[in-house]
Amino acid sequence: MRGLKPGKITSARICQLLFLLLFLVLFVQTEYRGSDRISVAVNSFFRADPLVALGYVLAEKSFVLLLLPALLLALATLVLGRFFCGWICPLGTILDLVTGRISKTAPLRFLQGRVKYWLLFPLLFASLFSVNLVGLLDPIAILVRALTFSLYPLFGATVRQGWVGLYRVLGEGRDVLAPGYVLLRDYLLPFRETFYPLAFLSFLLFLGIVFLERYETRTWCRRLCPLGTLLGLLARVSPFGRIPEKLCPDCGDCRSHCPTSFDQELMQQEECIRCMACRVKCRFGRVSFHFGRHAAGLPYFPERRVLLGGLLSGFFLARLFRFRNPRAQATVLRPPGVLDEEAMLKKCVRCGECMKVCLRNALYPAILQAGAEGLYTPLVIPRLGYCEYNCTLCGQVCPTGAIPDLPLE
Amino acid sequence: MDRRHFLKLLGLSPLLSNLLLRKALAAETPVVAIAEDRDFSRATLKALNALGGMRRFVKPGNVVVVKPNIGWDRRPEQAANTHPLVVRTVVAEALRAGASKVKVFDRTCNDPRRCYVNSGIEAALRGMKGVDLKYIEEERFRPVRLNGRTLRQWDLYDEALSADVFINVPVAKHHGLTGLTLGLKNIMGVMGGNRGSIHRHIDSALADINAVLKSRLTVVDATRILTAHGPQGGDSHDVKVLNKVLASGDIVAADAVATTLFGLRPEQISTTVAAYRRGLGEMKVDKMRIVRV
Repeated sequence: MRGLKPGKITSARICQLLFLLLFLVLFVQTEYRGSDRISVAVNSFFRADPLVALGYVLAEKSFVLLLLPALLLALATLVLGRFFCGWICPLGTILDLVTGRISKTAPLRFLQGRVKYWLLFPLLFASLFSVNLVGLLDPIAILVRALTFSLYPLFGATVRQGWVGLYRVLGEGRDVLAPGYVLLRDYLLPFRETFYPLAFLSFLLFLGIVFLERYETRTWCRRLCPLGTLLGLLARVSPFGRIPEKLCPDCGDCRSHCPTSFDQELMQQEECIRCMACRVKCRFGRVSFHFGRHAAGLPYFPERRVLLGGLLSGFFLARLFRFRNPRAQATVLRPPGVLDEEAMLKKCVRCGECMKVCLRNALYPAILQAGAEGLYTPLVIPRLGYCEYNCTLCGQVCPTGAIPDLPLE
Repeated sequence: MDRRHFLKLLGLSPLLSNLLLRKALAAETPVVAIAEDRDFSRATLKALNALGGMRRFVKPGNVVVVKPNIGWDRRPEQAANTHPLVVRTVVAEALRAGASKVKVFDRTCNDPRRCYVNSGIEAALRGMKGVDLKYIEEERFRPVRLNGRTLRQWDLYDEALSADVFINVPVAKHHGLTGLTLGLKNIMGVMGGNRGSIHRHIDSALADINAVLKSRLTVVDATRILTAHGPQGGDSHDVKVLNKVLASGDIVAADAVATTLFGLRPEQISTTVAAYRRGLGEMKVDKMRIVRV
């Protein structure tokens, strides 16, 4: 956060760091570690993700208990506002951590205004018309995919290559270092080097989001992120907010303290991520947060135009993504237990967890094999890996049950 | 004796001496110990002691490789892998005999993590000092000239080659292709590359490998044997509990005697026959000394 006095760390930042750590630990933990069951995995983040849940509900027209945490988070957002973005979201935390090192030019004009609604509504309406693509732009999915497909394999391969290189140099003498390597291998590294298609694209998407920090702080979060936008809509009714609601005429420092909403005179309930930076940093101790009635910021609500436009474009999006090449379809192999291609496509978050956890690295993200709609959905490529007889990990980590959690017997 | 007789004898003597020589070389009758005990650790111990104890094979300071069968993602009672107690006892005895390090590994067929865990061997060796249970690392395979009848050259595992003592600890079980898989076939666990391809001439290929990588001691786990649907098994109906452990310094003899536990004759198992014909050990049961304890 810019201008943060040294030694002064907000509780939001501590919470963010803890959640980022939790996220990374869960990510590494999404792997076979000697037990047939994985009790907690990085899917916890998706299960608490209201965007994932809403996409699922709209597409499937039903609810699944797996996604109950998302419902709770949505309710909490109704009360507290977009605290998720300022306290929990690991992508937001990463942006906060790097943004100080990126010098800013002017905000991008074309991103201001309604672009984010034009992103969110078509996605949601497309889900309603049975093409669930929310996962493609879900911030957590973007992060998990960037890690799973590019950064983690890169890290693993680099360390492994180094280890092999040591053997070429030291021979048996390398054994002296073995305990350290074994520790690393057992707790941190991917077990096998696997390289994924779409690795570059996944990384690029993540890098693009970081790149946007050149223009203003948290550009992605306030201008594009569909999850943030959705939470923002819920936050409109939140009774929890800042006093004073406007910038003080004599100071106006909040404009530079605030990572998201003070680009207007009035604080935007919808944009405020409750990071409390303005409260902590106020020189006069004027700022406080209270429950009560608050002006919702701009009276603007996504107008009928955006709503209808979203509906229409969602409809077209859904239809345009429908083409499936029958010959390709016939050769598409899905993870075990997936019986109905349609249902799987509707539920799949495209987060890549099943591919991360796959014991034998049999699962890979689809590029266009399953149609444009199937981008990033898991495919079995038997020439590269196979299903272990007693392994049901992919079903266990799937956050929405797109891959069923099969019993062993 | 007249001259003619003498010359005849003289002429025949090279033949005779050759025979005698072979007899003399194979003079040491191979000993096979068969121990029976419901406690598998004790059975293993008894078998080893019947051979004169581990000290006969392992000298102080030796680096020892114990090569069990950990090939499959199966539980101990499914009899597809060497029993963890047998492995543990062999390892412990090697350490007691003064081994500076005992390395245990196998190139698994299923995912190595699952095999090491579900075979029970990882848990059995946990916490033992001086023992390395390690996964196979690709870079350690190196091409070895075998100059065998079937295999000219193959990638073998360097830790198995460089060990002072290589102890082969197979489980006795049925095998769809070779009839049975025992010590001679267990050696496949140190082969790199596309080892599946040797299945076409497997008896001869295995003899080639075993001729180069000698098992100083073979301990056959027959505590429970898989009588059908091997090598992977899985069905508990195929498992027969025998409570037996065999041990011998002669791998062919160990395999031959283990074969009899299945009600088969050693001549029926082509891998044993091929190894016998190569002179890797004794196959005829009546030419060994069998110690039952």
